[in-house]
Amino acid sequence: MLVAIETTAIYTLLLGSLYLLVSLGFSLICGVLRIFHLGYAYIFIAAIYFTWMFMDLFGWGLVPSIAAMLVIQAGIAIAIYKGLIVRYMKQEEIIITGLLLVAIILEQAAMRFYPIQTGVYLETTVMAGISKIGQVTVSNQLIFAAILGIVVTGLFALFFLKTKLGLAVRAISYDLYASRVMGIRVEQLYMFIMVLVLIPVILAMLAIAPVWAVDPGVGWGYMMTAILVSVLGGLGNIKGTIIASYIIGLCHSTVAFVIAEPRFMGLSALIVVLIMLIFRPQGIAKSETVW
Amino acid sequence: MDLEVKRDRLVFRAMGGKWEWGIEPRYWRNPLIYISLLILAPVVVYFVYPALLATVIDANLLAAIAIPLSLMTLGTGRMNFGPQFYIGIGGYTAALLSIHFGLSPGMTLIAAALAGLVFGFAMSPLSIISGGLYYTLLTLLFPLVFLEITFIYTDLFKGDTGLAGISSLVSVGFFSLNQLVYAFISLAMMLIYLFIIDKILRSRYAVQMAAINDDEEVANGIGVNVNKTKIISFVIPAMMISIIGWFYAHYYGTFAGVTFLPLAFMLKILMVIMIGGRIQIYGCIVGGYFIAFLELLLIRTTGAMSPVLFPIILLILLLTLREGLFGLYRKRHYREYLPTLHVRR
Amino acid sequence: MAEILKVTNVTKSFGGLTAVAGVSLSINEGETVGLMGPNGAGKTTLVNMICGSYSVDSGKIEFMGKDITNLPPWKRCKLGVSRTYQIPRPFPELTTLSSVVVSALCGKDRQNRSLDDAFTEATHYLEFVGLFSKRNILARDLTLFEMRGLELARALATGPKLIFIDEVMAGLNPVEAEKAVRLIERSKDQFGVTILWIEHVMAVLMRAAERVIVLHYGEKIAEGSPEEVAKNQAVIESYLGERKNA
Repeated sequence: MLVAIETTAIYTLLLGSLYLLVSLGFSLICGVLRIFHLGYAYIFIAAIYFTWMFMDLFGWGLVPSIAAMLVIQAGIAIAIYKGLIVRYMKQEEIIITGLLLVAIILEQAAMRFYPIQTGVYLETTVMAGISKIGQVTVSNQLIFAAILGIVVTGLFALFFLKTKLGLAVRAISYDLYASRVMGIRVEQLYMFIMVLVLIPVILAMLAIAPVWAVDPGVGWGYMMTAILVSVLGGLGNIKGTIIASYIIGLCHSTVAFVIAEPRFMGLSALIVVLIMLIFRPQGIAKSETVW
Repeated sequence: MDLEVKRDRLVFRAMGGKWEWGIEPRYWRNPLIYISLLILAPVVVYFVYPALLATVIDANLLAAIAIPLSLMTLGTGRMNFGPQFYIGIGGYTAALLSIHFGLSPGMTLIAAALAGLVFGFAMSPLSIISGGLYYTLLTLLFPLVFLEITFIYTDLFKGDTGLAGISSLVSVGFFSLNQLVYAFISLAMMLIYLFIIDKILRSRYAVQMAAINDDEEVANGIGVNVNKTKIISFVIPAMMISIIGWFYAHYYGTFAGVTFLPLAFMLKILMVIMIGGRIQIYGCIVGGYFIAFLELLLIRTTGAMSPVLFPIILLILLLTLREGLFGLYRKRHYREYLPTLHVRR
Repeated sequence: MAEILKVTNVTKSFGGLTAVAGVSLSINEGETVGLMGPNGAGKTTLVNMICGSYSVDSGKIEFMGKDITNLPPWKRCKLGVSRTYQIPRPFPELTTLSSVVVSALCGKDRQNRSLDDAFTEATHYLEFVGLFSKRNILARDLTLFEMRGLELARALATGPKLIFIDEVMAGLNPVEAEKAVRLIERSKDQFGVTILWIEHVMAVLMRAAERVIVLHYGEKIAEGSPEEVAKNQAVIESYLGERKNA
């Protein structure tokens, strides 16, 4: 029993930090840009499969492939922004449907060209091997991913709190019209944010790839977690997202290790979020602000 | 209770209320023409190319899901992104009762409708307490979680393979004739739904819904019971969609969550509404047939690439046809009696 | 004259700010009562509480002898409480006629009334405020004066016993202002409603109101006939400030 609790505690920290990477972008887009980015799942798939495509098709090494993938992802994000979001800002159903379609197109393309049997594997291990913390055995790569999560979140927080650009983004999230009047270049900032939020997700996927299996359907599971964390923490609020990530991490770990029914992880998180919403419909965050 | 037939309307009085249905024969020409076409279509297809009957049934069912979904969207003021959840409810209820208890399709119909009612009620508070984005996200999640549950309790739901051995609704001999009967049943269901929802959208309830969509607080202040309207417009379509789930179960004889619960199916329904011109219920019929036949065409011509091409084509259509296909028609032949209320956030 | 509204010691705070502090008032049937006070005095908050948009922190509200403190807004409307809004809130996507139809349908419970009957009734109200010619125009395309008329028609169509009129004069030129006052006087004659009139313009209240209540920082500081209130020292100080000792 003690081991179970210890495992739960450690995995809460690990999973929570990982979920930070996964959810931060989603929360920011929904909260700051006020766009329902329901195609978020495509970022996960694109991160893995475009990298693999460059390695497989052109025989490039890992690092050039990752660089190329970043370029393509940025391109897709800007294309989505210009082609879909800007034109249909007022008609949210069209944006949501379009984004979902993009995610499905990419997922189906990945399934068509690189089905599970092809054995896509990215050698992105940074910290190899395993460690033993107390009684618990953990993969080092997972610890690395968790540290990455905390660092990236810290950088984001610093960015939004201390830099001028971050201040401008916060301004847009409060009052769009007034921001425009103040001279803030809203369109360019939106594009910047769309590209910026790619980074945590890509880092997460690249870090996790050697540890957990990747298949084209992996995006939806992570997106579900991102949705739950964001809804629980309050959309767009970084503090809320941090707290919510660890709550969901705790929920998943408890169900997996103490209750020992890993199958119930997703469901349990949903129930926790639903109960929370009954008492506090706007999430944990006290206000609809970035911090 | 009292029914009075006047020259141009039916007046129905009961319990202190009064409802009027206008009878306007001059507007019947087009609907009668199109309904006749819809009824003729399966017959023609049966004699010319019977295999297409499956697509016709598919089209009718897609439209029959989109029509109540339009009502739900109008009544609650937001788009429900997980209507397939109720397909799952209706389908699994019908399947489980049919397989384990041997209930006839008539009994399972009642059970599926009740299940839809119960789950609709259980979920309806979401439409009241959740704001726009949260509502969208949560309704999106429910079918996915249902899918997870079907995988968790594999002995009950049989996970991937689904439940098999559900009694058929119809067996009149050979396969094609069965399909023809199914086609007519699906057409009847769709037309009944169309009729009911059309009447609702021309009634006083639609005006109240429009007021709630525009300004909820003011509507509350002038006497509209906002919560009751939202709940009813959530529950009744939920029940209607569950009945479609029942039909799927008895029509295919098997029912698996993976066919209906993931996002791919939801996207089809969504596209039916978008192509149909967004909340225009007559457009849903156009959308249903278009999507069903487009998918068939793609599978026949491009084979393995069709799962990739289908969403690409849908995306292009979404971006180019701002008013949907039906919108193109409406711009040429504008008729003011077609209900078009706007959805606000 | 029977008392139709009795407000006892209601309080409302938003976080640390007390908007309304222990206000009590009563209104008799058939009266026109004015409600005055500088900006931020809590007038609209008080009306919001009586109509049900805000919940009451403490205190009691009784309408026609019935305790309505915890009733939802639509039930209060059915009992006979109605209001107009300071900044007009028309239904943007509905036509003028449809907006009033909603009130006619959903206001006071009427027997044997179908949608068509409601349309006919709504046209009567529109005619009364002078908007019949604009009945098929979208509500958001009306001018400010017409929107105020629409607000009044919408409030009247619910068949109320008590109407709250919230700063109808703001933004109107003198001709329109005169028309508005006459319209409200006529609605009182024709429909027999009791009016609580929130207003800044003293001249209007002098003419139209029988009694005036003054709020300041959420408290009632004066009550009486318009002449008495106009001479009241506390009222003058609340609007103009204290006299500086020369």
